[in-house]
Amino acid sequence: MATFSLLVTANPYSSQGQFSAIQFARTLLEQGHSLMRVFFYADGVLVASRLHAPPADEINLTKAWAKLAIEKDIELIACVTAANKRGIVNASEAERNALTGDNLDPAFEISGLGQLTEAMLESDRLITFG
Amino acid sequence: MNKSICIIFNKAPYGSQAGRELLDIALMAAAFDMPITAIFVEDGVYQLLNNQQPDILHIKNHSSTFKALPLYGIEDVYVAQEDLDKFKLDMGRLLDIDGIQPVATDTIKSKIAHSNFVLTL
Repeated sequence: MATFSLLVTANPYSSQGQFSAIQFARTLLEQGHSLMRVFFYADGVLVASRLHAPPADEINLTKAWAKLAIEKDIELIACVTAANKRGIVNASEAERNALTGDNLDPAFEISGLGQLTEAMLESDRLITFG
Repeated sequence: MNKSICIIFNKAPYGSQAGRELLDIALMAAAFDMPITAIFVEDGVYQLLNNQQPDILHIKNHSSTFKALPLYGIEDVYVAQEDLDKFKLDMGRLLDIDGIQPVATDTIKSKIAHSNFVLTL
């Protein structure tokens, strides 16, 4: 059994990457592997917004990640630099940048690229979904 | 021995953020003392072109940071000779990075095969 981490860079809803990443995460856990961390980078950070409102008959990717994180105790981390410049902010970043509001979904954390490096050091495999 | 990372730059600069965001990953991993190999292939060889002026496009120039790779401890920097040839480029047109080597495709395959992690964006 191996320890995995995922690097998700795909733009949610514009491409298949995020859908594939969630399926992959669920499947590896079902097969008895462990998932240490999912790191969101580049356009992948956009999924961390709690303001997505896809049509009712389509999967809500943010909620799908949140469900996985809560049920399986998985860390969902979005890169702070990538997130802030794409309009994904938590309360403290919103205050620091004098923004009118924050939009980070509570299942996600904002942190630095060091968390990606650490994920590689502590995992057997890092799989990218771009 | 720390796990090694091979970082592959395969996209041209400025048309997308890929080069800059991949460079940030490389620098951060280097700060954790992970052995890093940086490889430039396909359109990625344009990342290394000298005298870039993206300020005309109001885009920040990240290319000078490539010159600092050895300062960050990233000394294994390779560029695909085959792709330089394809674009009619030579080493004289590229940034002056200490220790950068033009290599054949087989060498690149071997570098990838011997790394614990392979990253591209």
